[in-house]
Amino acid sequence: MGSFIKKDLFLFLRDRKELVVALLLPIVIIFVLNLAFDGLFDSNEEATLDIHLALVNQDNQEKVTESLQEKLIEEGSFDEMEATAIAEQASYADPVEALANFLESEDLQNWVTIHDLDETEAIDQVEQGEIDGMLVIPNDFTVESLYAAFTGEPPAVSLAYKMEEETANNGTMYDIINGFIDNLNYQFAMQQIAGSNEVEVVQPQGGVEQLGEGETFTMSQYFTLAMGILFALFLSITVAAKTGEEIRQQVFDRILVTNSHPMLFLIGKMVSTFILAWLQISIVFGLAHLILDVFPGRSLDFWLGVAVITLLFALAVAGLAAVFTSIALQMHNIDAANGVFNVIAMVLAVLGGNFVPIYVFPDWMQRVSEWTPNGLTLSMMMEWLQYQQVSSLIMPSLMLVGFFVLCTLVGLAMYPKRGGAK
Amino acid sequence: MLETINVSKSFKGKKAVQDVNLYLDRGESVGLLGPNGAGKSTTISMISTLIKPTSGEIKLNGVNTVNKPADIRRVLGVVPQELALYQELSAYENLKFFGSIYKLKGKELENSIQHALEIVGLKDRQKDLVKTFSGGMKRRVNIAAALLHKPQILILDEPTVGIDPQSRSHILETVRSLNETDGTTILYTSHYMEEVEQLCDRVYIMDHGEVIAAGSKAELLSILSSEDTIKLELSMIDELFVEKIKKLEGVRKVETASSQLKVIAKKGSNLISELVYLADSHQIQLLNFQTESPSLEDVFLHLTGRTLRD
Repeated sequence: MGSFIKKDLFLFLRDRKELVVALLLPIVIIFVLNLAFDGLFDSNEEATLDIHLALVNQDNQEKVTESLQEKLIEEGSFDEMEATAIAEQASYADPVEALANFLESEDLQNWVTIHDLDETEAIDQVEQGEIDGMLVIPNDFTVESLYAAFTGEPPAVSLAYKMEEETANNGTMYDIINGFIDNLNYQFAMQQIAGSNEVEVVQPQGGVEQLGEGETFTMSQYFTLAMGILFALFLSITVAAKTGEEIRQQVFDRILVTNSHPMLFLIGKMVSTFILAWLQISIVFGLAHLILDVFPGRSLDFWLGVAVITLLFALAVAGLAAVFTSIALQMHNIDAANGVFNVIAMVLAVLGGNFVPIYVFPDWMQRVSEWTPNGLTLSMMMEWLQYQQVSSLIMPSLMLVGFFVLCTLVGLAMYPKRGGAK
Repeated sequence: MLETINVSKSFKGKKAVQDVNLYLDRGESVGLLGPNGAGKSTTISMISTLIKPTSGEIKLNGVNTVNKPADIRRVLGVVPQELALYQELSAYENLKFFGSIYKLKGKELENSIQHALEIVGLKDRQKDLVKTFSGGMKRRVNIAAALLHKPQILILDEPTVGIDPQSRSHILETVRSLNETDGTTILYTSHYMEEVEQLCDRVYIMDHGEVIAAGSKAELLSILSSEDTIKLELSMIDELFVEKIKKLEGVRKVETASSQLKVIAKKGSNLISELVYLADSHQIQLLNFQTESPSLEDVFLHLTGRTLRD
């Protein structure tokens, strides 16, 4: 067995063309992509955000309880007792205060500056570009939003976010406010179901969730992971192609006339593929980090996690190599076989998000992606990169091991009997 | 020691080899002669257990090995027609790999490698990558890889195809030495008649998947013992002149090739004076002539109506 593994490792390492493709090409591509997309999609840009927001409060917050009670009786067909109870319950909630607290929260205050202005001043400053946008809290916002929340009807008035031109800052701010409103509505709904007599408005997570709980990832990190995984995936084809050469040159026949077990040939291929795939990804990640500082300031735990995920993926690639090798041994035309393997790998690469970031795909494609070994590995890497939670890796790890077992069984089943190789 | 009894092989209903009977005694050197497509490689593949015969038996020391291939593999060394080597590995690494899958280890493996390299004369170049070798050197490594486990029977399938005369001579000398000095039984296939003539005690001639003649060289040549071959080199060849030769008494066949004429006639026909006279009467200058004893090539031609390289 050791001889087969050593032989395959030597053959790969002596093949300069393969080495360039396996090690140099991904680094070059990562470098080029890094240059091309630098600052375009980079999530680092949140560090440079400096949003100036005008808050225009036109809400009449006096006699909210009374107004709400009246509205509930007149428009909501509640009797007086019910209306009184609801209004009393609603008096604990103040959506405007919750919004103000949110906008001045620690999470936002580093990059959002709030200016309390009247509407005319706010419009003026927005038009002059001194302020990015204005958030208008319309008259009766509190009463209307509480009424809507307790009756389940759509609110008659809503917050208005106005901007002069669409910028990244404005887009981000708009998303964050929307997130806040969604969360607020959710909290009201939950309160109704629970029947609590106190509305506790929890600070929304929404758009600031990533800042608070996990690390963000950059495009260069994404491309490094995607390319490392992609090129390791192609290793399974390289191994199968080398099998084709061994058949063509009758080396395979020479091996068969020794008394060694034919399966050793296949198992040797799998083990060497596993070692090569793991080494390849590790070297690509390592070099990318050394050259481009892709993963700055990461802990040893992070790197250990990456090593484990890489090992699991290398196992999956070894399984794929077993299937491809067995198919190569059955095919009359090894060039046609290589063509088929390349098509399969390309489909896996596209579905797995190795060419285009997976989160730009529609939902159904993202779900399909997680059934490909490369897509699953990429999502594990991204998860690990952001949250470093071991628990989130357990299920995908089992799936990768399952993929390896399945492929190995298929490879063994398809492996030709003596004299069956073409 | 090794025999095939009525061995046949069909591929998709088409018979590639039919009822082949071979016998190799211990220490013998046997040739398997035939043109491309005669069925030699298929026969060898069956003996070396790469493919199973459709019918028939392959016996090693009287025991059928068709369903027990491990026995024959232990004593068999096979030199395939192709260069069955890893080009990216050195000669030493190739031999180490093949030696280790023959389950040789440690010192025994190292000694076997060095011995095999010595036999093929490549000890000095053992660390060089095979891809840097000449065609002849690659062929020699190809042979060395089959010698590592010291096989009792060595099968060589066209081991000198496409190499320079010096390497060819080296390989032939190696094979002779293995047979005569080490006592290795040799089954040598080739379509180079002169190699088989030079190396083998007995010859099987195959054509269209069948053995069409077998025996020692003398036995095979005796098939043509009733004929004389006269080769003439002429200044020109005239059709009328050729026709007149064909009509001479005792002439069985006349072959022409550029300015050469080959006349096969009944033994003792004494045609030389008549040929000289005919050439003179057609004003054709006779540049050279020689009488020849028949070769295995002639035997093959006689049996099949075509040459080995057709």
